[in-house]
Amino acid sequence: MFEHEVNPENIKKAAFVVAIPSYNEADSIAFPVQQADKGIQSFFGNMKSVIINCDNNSNDGTKEIFLGIRTHTPKIYISTEPGIKGKGNNLRNLFQKIVDLDANGVVVVDADLKSITPKWIKHLGEPLFQDFGYVAPLYVRHKYDGTITNSIAYPLTRSLYGRRVRQPIGGDFGFCGKLAQTYLQTATWSDTVANFGIDIWMTTIAMNEDIPICQAFMGRPKIHRAKDPGSDLGPMFRQVVGTIFNMMIKFYPFWSNVRWSKPTSIFGFGLGETEMPPPVKVHKEILFQKFHEGFSNCGRIWEKVLQKETVAKLQEIREMDRDRFDFPTHLWINVLIDFAIAYRDELCTEDELLDSLIPIYLSKTLSYVMKTERISIREAEEFIEEECVQFEGTKSLLIQRWNKKTSA
Amino acid sequence: MAKILVVDDEEHIRLLYSEELSEAGYEVITAADGYKLTERIDSEKPDLVILDIKMIDYNGLDLLQEIRNKFYNLPVILCTAYDTFKDDIKSIAADFYVIKSFDLTELKKKIVMALEANIPSP
Repeated sequence: MFEHEVNPENIKKAAFVVAIPSYNEADSIAFPVQQADKGIQSFFGNMKSVIINCDNNSNDGTKEIFLGIRTHTPKIYISTEPGIKGKGNNLRNLFQKIVDLDANGVVVVDADLKSITPKWIKHLGEPLFQDFGYVAPLYVRHKYDGTITNSIAYPLTRSLYGRRVRQPIGGDFGFCGKLAQTYLQTATWSDTVANFGIDIWMTTIAMNEDIPICQAFMGRPKIHRAKDPGSDLGPMFRQVVGTIFNMMIKFYPFWSNVRWSKPTSIFGFGLGETEMPPPVKVHKEILFQKFHEGFSNCGRIWEKVLQKETVAKLQEIREMDRDRFDFPTHLWINVLIDFAIAYRDELCTEDELLDSLIPIYLSKTLSYVMKTERISIREAEEFIEEECVQFEGTKSLLIQRWNKKTSA
Repeated sequence: MAKILVVDDEEHIRLLYSEELSEAGYEVITAADGYKLTERIDSEKPDLVILDIKMIDYNGLDLLQEIRNKFYNLPVILCTAYDTFKDDIKSIAADFYVIKSFDLTELKKKIVMALEANIPSP
């Protein structure tokens, strides 16, 4: 039987909330709920708190498992209507609940987390009671984990909106109650936001609203399901990148006035020795092959979307051997600028456009993997930082091209 | 004229930076350590801080943390003789870092970038 809300203890107000979005997570939700409960009791024991499971009406018993877990903290279950799926829709439900509860601070953690500890709740939650309005996670990540973040989400948000948030689509984060109201009222909601686009949407809005942001050091990797960059990324890629491009249109007046970037505060030390992330296997031959397939599958779209010089450069790269493969950063920046403008000008359907970017993104990923395979995680970070400086240095070119197209 | 606070326990570095940055058109004030640094920033209101990482009684990365928490948007450039500080994640709260040198070209470039960085109000 569908229930929009189950609130066994009839909680009407709460100062602090830990929320766990889910869809069919009966097998995994117990662990993050238990860790959240410990975190609340240890670090927020003096506050009226609640754990909320915001669910997509799962049919695997997620609700029953969640409500059946013994916790010291009261629990509330809320769900989207039957048939409505997506993390974004779960969080939209949550925003309303946060406003209703009049909560001051909210921490969101994924339901499939295996590496969460009570201190994650502390580190994502405490800054919200110390003048920060949005807390992004800073996990220890393998250099090949999070390639959409490394190649697109981080450099683009940093250069566009001027705030350095290393993992803007981390999935676990904290935000203040006031921001929940802003999220509910903003006019930028879309189908892509309703799903995987929600994380970048929330981070971008926090930046545009000039909300004080900090990054919480989590001290250990996020262990759930690391992905091979060569596989399994279609919907996530479309929704994250589509959301970024869509926000670029809406927030042009803001980002066109941003010059260079600024750092954010870092919160959360004293976690002891940092735990190293598990290795991520990358299939270089698949990345190489998918790039080559892109010429036959997407060549028509590339010619429509990309500048002639860029298409010529891609042809040059096509001739390279896999062992000497190199995709220059400035070319990647040009590709992203062209695609962002094509998205705005609707040169083809959204899915066609974003799908055609995937082979180029995979070739950029292959190049990154080859350039960083013999260096440490820290050195790979420096490589990404240098790429970000190039993104920022090209900002005036982006603005020029964006405006030229507008007046054309 | 932008005001720059140089925090370094080496006198010759404070002198060098004072002279060169004054010549470049900045107003320069100095501090020999991190004692009551945030109070000093509060009263002097510098536009930018150049911060040494290794001082005798103070860790520049801890001071950076204090500055960043109190003065969210104040540009801070870390100065160091060694780049091993990058092992400490706290260093990413700085706007930039430079390796100490008698040639201040890189530092001056970073100062310009840090002062130019702006994030408009919504």
